[in-house]
Amino acid sequence: MILLDPHNVIIQTTLNEKLVKPSSLDVQFVDYDGVRFHLSTPEKKTVLLLSMHIRCWDELVRYGAIDVLQREYGALLVGQAEQDYNVSLMIDLEQVPAEPEAREAFITSIALFKRNAVAAPFESAFNTQKELEKAEGQQGELMQIHYRDEEAIYIQAAHDRVTVIFSTIFQDETDRIFGKVFLQEFVDARRQPSIQNAPQVLYSSRDPPLEIRHLTNLRNTEDIGYVTFVLFPRHFANPNVASGTISHMQLFRDYLHYHIKCSKAYMHSRMRHRVSEFQKVLNRAKTEVATAERKTVSGRTMMTR
Amino acid sequence: MSLLAPIICDNGTGFSKIGFAGNSDPSFVFPTAIATRGSATQTSRAPAVPAKPGHLASKRGVEDLDFFIGDEALANAKTPGYGVHYPIRHGMIDNWDHMERYWEQTIFKYLRAEPEDHYFLLTEPPLNPPENREQTAEIFFESFNIKGLYIAVQAVLALAASWTSNRQSDRTLTGTVIDSGDGVTHVIPCAEGYVIGSAIKHIPIAGRDITQFVLNLMRERGEMSAVPPEDQLRVASKVKESYSYVCQDIVREFRKYDEEPYKYFERYDGEHSVTGRKYSVDVGYERFLAPEIFFNPEIYSSDFLTPLPEIVDDVIQQSPIDVRRGLYKNIVLSGGSTMFQHFGQRLKRDLKQLVDRRLDASVLASGSLQKSSGVEVEVISHKRQRYAVWFGGSLLASLPDFYSSCHTKAQYDEIGPSICRRYQIFGSAT
Repeated sequence: MILLDPHNVIIQTTLNEKLVKPSSLDVQFVDYDGVRFHLSTPEKKTVLLLSMHIRCWDELVRYGAIDVLQREYGALLVGQAEQDYNVSLMIDLEQVPAEPEAREAFITSIALFKRNAVAAPFESAFNTQKELEKAEGQQGELMQIHYRDEEAIYIQAAHDRVTVIFSTIFQDETDRIFGKVFLQEFVDARRQPSIQNAPQVLYSSRDPPLEIRHLTNLRNTEDIGYVTFVLFPRHFANPNVASGTISHMQLFRDYLHYHIKCSKAYMHSRMRHRVSEFQKVLNRAKTEVATAERKTVSGRTMMTR
Repeated sequence: MSLLAPIICDNGTGFSKIGFAGNSDPSFVFPTAIATRGSATQTSRAPAVPAKPGHLASKRGVEDLDFFIGDEALANAKTPGYGVHYPIRHGMIDNWDHMERYWEQTIFKYLRAEPEDHYFLLTEPPLNPPENREQTAEIFFESFNIKGLYIAVQAVLALAASWTSNRQSDRTLTGTVIDSGDGVTHVIPCAEGYVIGSAIKHIPIAGRDITQFVLNLMRERGEMSAVPPEDQLRVASKVKESYSYVCQDIVREFRKYDEEPYKYFERYDGEHSVTGRKYSVDVGYERFLAPEIFFNPEIYSSDFLTPLPEIVDDVIQQSPIDVRRGLYKNIVLSGGSTMFQHFGQRLKRDLKQLVDRRLDASVLASGSLQKSSGVEVEVISHKRQRYAVWFGGSLLASLPDFYSSCHTKAQYDEIGPSICRRYQIFGSAT
């Protein structure tokens, strides 16, 4: 598995199960970046209530999340969200389309709940870029999404591009080193002829890129780094490509961390292999224990009882 | 911000139960299997080395990411190039390379959780060597940078799961756990949260044997002739799960069935998994005979002949004398093969007879001078028996004490993996 899936597996499997056999339910689970879900059947077995809590909900609403969710889910969206959560969907299992394909598409769209909510600022940036196409030299609003306690996404549209900047902080010393190598690789990877069309990636540690340098709430410490993606119209002109771009961009941080962990696991398996090889060498070097019969002065043998 | 729910990970020999604390059922139950590139019988366990030396960018091998876990692993078992491995043997982790990758995908693909934000509760079998715990801690703290870790003994979690039963008055961690899964049945005595290792006993009869026994019975009666051979085992296990129960008296049960077969015989309807042809079989005596092999093993096996109640009695008699009363009073069932209706009642009755007989004998031996006040025997069944261990973990991890009993990343960095040799028992009211 190289790429992470954009949809939530728990929502998908639970919905599939409940469509076959409705039963009462009350589960809480999470998604990346501290998103909490609550799936329950408050009234009857065939009506599921799916609620979501996102840390940066207020910012997302400002960038049009409600409109995006309204477009995706329409009547499913509940006006008053469940307490302690930001937004809720009411799913009536009896209203779900019966044809297998339509049903699958419906379930997948529900499982993309978080992805769709976070997609709002990206979509609005893509639209702004289209509007600005005529007006050269102008820039759209700089959108900030503080999706984790210490990390944020910044999105800005210009007349010919959309810039997405991730600030990254690694809690762990080892992770930081792995992360640096990884991000450097990202920058270098574009030199390969096969991925010339990929968005340009820039990585800078400590110094924020020019686009966000004027912000006052940036951290100025050693451990912070900035990854900039420059998306050109070819990455989002076609709606299908655009939605793929959004899914990939959203999961960038999780993708990075996943791969850091994978490479650590790989290193560990190499280390384990090495240790076992060395142990074999050490075992070969062991001196043989003398097993000759030992006798006392009087000629009697020592016996263990 | 409120803390995100701890993750409970119960990796068993056959199945892994994975989910978030506070829920009543695991979010995922899938086989503990991993399908990797390279054949299953490959002798060298060396991971692949990147082929080309030189510039880092040229080493873009992704072989170590090319694997599947759980149901997907079994689905890919026949794909050329893949081999299925079971990283856990007899409850203990056998292949750490596979297990590390198994966890990696569990967390990132299925749970979709950032491990740095979560506490983890893992389980271990009784008598797990401390080195295994250290290895586990190393993987979780070093690879995944988790916030905190608690490794609990499965039997203790099964005891905690029984607190939800209304038969249970006090939250005690003293009791006997009967854990019967697919492969083996364990009888494990626990005193105040600690397993009495010297008294543990294993019984080689469990779910798989019951299914086999049902299959044998139905074949002998000629019912299985209608069922295609490749489906027979599945049908037998379905019959076991849906129709079986424990009876109190075999002779009477047989008579009941013979007098009114239409009332007691059930009909199972199946469909051929490939051709879609329908078939149906009669389900008869195997309904009560199947679980009977726990109580009269001689009807199934010729080499293991001790009934379950006797084993439980032996285990308790081998435990220290001061906890025996507690062990008799709190016998807890866990695992899918203890789910038969009336299983608990039958076990309690048989065990009570054994205990009373011994008490009577001792009264006689003392010349009727000393009379015992009697020993209370109680078997506790509850609704969450199937995933009792996982549920116990979910229960304990939602207590506020959990966070203070965990070993945190800071402690690990300070002291090293050896901190995981000890775990604090918490949550019990006594």
